Amino acid sequence: MVESDIIKRVRFHGRGGQGMKTASRIVGTAAFMEGYYAQDFPVYGAERRGAPIMAFTRMSDSPILERGIITRPDINIIADETLLSDNAANVLQGTENETVTMVNTHYSPSHVKEAFDVNGEVTTVDITETVLKIINKPALSSVAAACACKLTGMISKNTLEKAVIRELTDIHLKRESISKNVEAALICFDNTPDITTSGIKTSEGYNGNRIVKMEYANPRVGTPSVYAMGNTIDKKTGNWRLYKPVIDYEECSMCRACFVHCPHSCISIDESGFPQIDYENCKGCFTCMDECPKGAVSREREVRAW
Amino acid sequence: MVKEMLTGNYAAAWGARLADVDYVPAFPITPQSEIIEVLSTWINGGNMDAIFTNMDSEHSMITAAGTASAAGTRVFSATSSQGLLYGFEMLYNIAGWRVPLVLINVSRAVSAPITLEPDHNDVLSARDTGIIQIHAETCQEILDTILMAYKISENEKVLLPVMINMDGFYLSFTREPVLIPDKSEVKGFLPEYNPKHAFLKASEPMAQGVAVLGGSAYSYFKYQQHLASLNALEVYNEVASEFEGVFGRSYSSIEAFMMEDAEYVLIMSNSFTVKGKAAVKGFRENGIKAGLLRLRLIRPFPDAELRRLLSNIKAAAVIDQNISPGSGGILFKDVSAALYHDAHRPEVLLSFIGGLGGKDISQVEFKHIIDMMKKSLDTGVIPGTEILYTENDMQQMNKLLKIAGKTTD
Repeated sequence: MVESDIIKRVRFHGRGGQGMKTASRIVGTAAFMEGYYAQDFPVYGAERRGAPIMAFTRMSDSPILERGIITRPDINIIADETLLSDNAANVLQGTENETVTMVNTHYSPSHVKEAFDVNGEVTTVDITETVLKIINKPALSSVAAACACKLTGMISKNTLEKAVIRELTDIHLKRESISKNVEAALICFDNTPDITTSGIKTSEGYNGNRIVKMEYANPRVGTPSVYAMGNTIDKKTGNWRLYKPVIDYEECSMCRACFVHCPHSCISIDESGFPQIDYENCKGCFTCMDECPKGAVSREREVRAW
Repeated sequence: MVKEMLTGNYAAAWGARLADVDYVPAFPITPQSEIIEVLSTWINGGNMDAIFTNMDSEHSMITAAGTASAAGTRVFSATSSQGLLYGFEMLYNIAGWRVPLVLINVSRAVSAPITLEPDHNDVLSARDTGIIQIHAETCQEILDTILMAYKISENEKVLLPVMINMDGFYLSFTREPVLIPDKSEVKGFLPEYNPKHAFLKASEPMAQGVAVLGGSAYSYFKYQQHLASLNALEVYNEVASEFEGVFGRSYSSIEAFMMEDAEYVLIMSNSFTVKGKAAVKGFRENGIKAGLLRLRLIRPFPDAELRRLLSNIKAAAVIDQNISPGSGGILFKDVSAALYHDAHRPEVLLSFIGGLGGKDISQVEFKHIIDMMKKSLDTGVIPGTEILYTENDMQQMNKLLKIAGKTTD
């Protein structure tokens, strides 16, 4: 891109089901309605509620000569604060001094900046509180989009409203629900501080990276096979969970029904014969709770204090 | 005419709707499924007057598409990757039957190892089937190309199926502004399908794709396919210029980007071309006279146009987002063959493999290509095909190898 072009790259982080894809679409539509070139798309990893997901919007006053994942965001929206402590989700990747990071939390920006050593500006808006009050459920698409729209400095409140209506109509939401979403979005637009980012310099540069020559590897290495047990150490599926199963060992009869039925082999039997749950990988499917004949498994809201 | 934010998949569905297709045989596969989901919704809701059939496999789907076309209907279908390969023998058949239709391929790299992200080994494996191939860079181009494709496919000088390629994810799931033309405007450009060629009718039985032994009949019909495909070069240009006249958007068989006074030329295809265009702009800002050619029409291959565009260029490099193991880049061979006998061909022609399985092609990789072109011009030494793979890629790979228990260090 030549220097005079304005381009803003927005990256959304959330969990499956929180509405990040729709958020990226609302911002894309809003930018398009404002007359900019726009581009939005989600990445689908694990297509499951609760799993970390990303979505992206680019907007510019000239044709966008970029495609694919945004590695250096101008605006980084973290709609679920628990993702900050999840290394695999890598939500701060590529944030630079020019990046504005918005975190959905009741903590102060300085607290977040210090706790996670965040580059660039940090702002915090408790969008969950707003939606719980107005929409009555944790649907974050419109409010996350509202924060992003404000931070771009390219989208008016009026356009945000039109874009929310347009996108939520497209996914067949009821009129009443749409108007609540609009209300919540406009509040969050106002609650988002007016921070303007100068924008990341567009050239990604070479970052000391270079081309290497690939050599023939012995077939044990060079063929797509896996030898190691526990080879998903970088993909802890425990972070997909919104609720965790908890075993009441007073009630447990050591029948092993949970151990047998766990679809992800996340339950093992300890030396004294009791089942133990591997919380790093348990996805919170609650098959164990359904199968337990003693009713010894209960559901607890996941709390991640940091 | 309205302008809307559409994914590539949605744009493809709009293309089929505006082309007023009669029949859509379908089978789902990621990342193509949205196309047929949208079409089935529209057909079910009465927005489109067509018949939709969910088939048992891509093999049946392509067979149904070809036979329906042989009965005189306008047919649309879409697949991807493993699905395209599953229906593979029928690709040769429908080209052999000389039946016009449009088939979208949403590129996804081929297993093994299995992935969902794009490269072009799937679509290029069909390059010898006789099917016309056009590769798209933007969502707008997908819609527009579908309208052009019917006109090319149904032309009496051609009568071959057309396959249009779009990259999975980078186009299929990416929304960007797309102009949706008015139906009346499209009707003027692409009238109702009215086949004159021998088509199956209950009142006039015929045999199609008959058995031939001895070779002379086979050679005759097969070479007719080749001549029909070559005719498509001229027909393509006619249709493109008519399309530009009606809709104002121009699609030449090879897109030239910043080619005025260019000395170093990148040759690419599909959606990753945009990364090459950004790199070329960057090189120009630093005083390097770079340019880019995007190969859009892949079959028939526009040899003469390529020679014209590369005439008196210092150096060119083909970036193949595919690999023919044991040979190298597939398009590099087409490009070299087109240039070999030309006295004004580039002094240096290099071959790179990049973006396999959707791997990014970063600015450092484009810079490396320019450096290699300069080095080859200086030394006169032309290296063999090289893969664009960076130190960062290798570090990431080594980490994964270790996790998989394949290395101990």
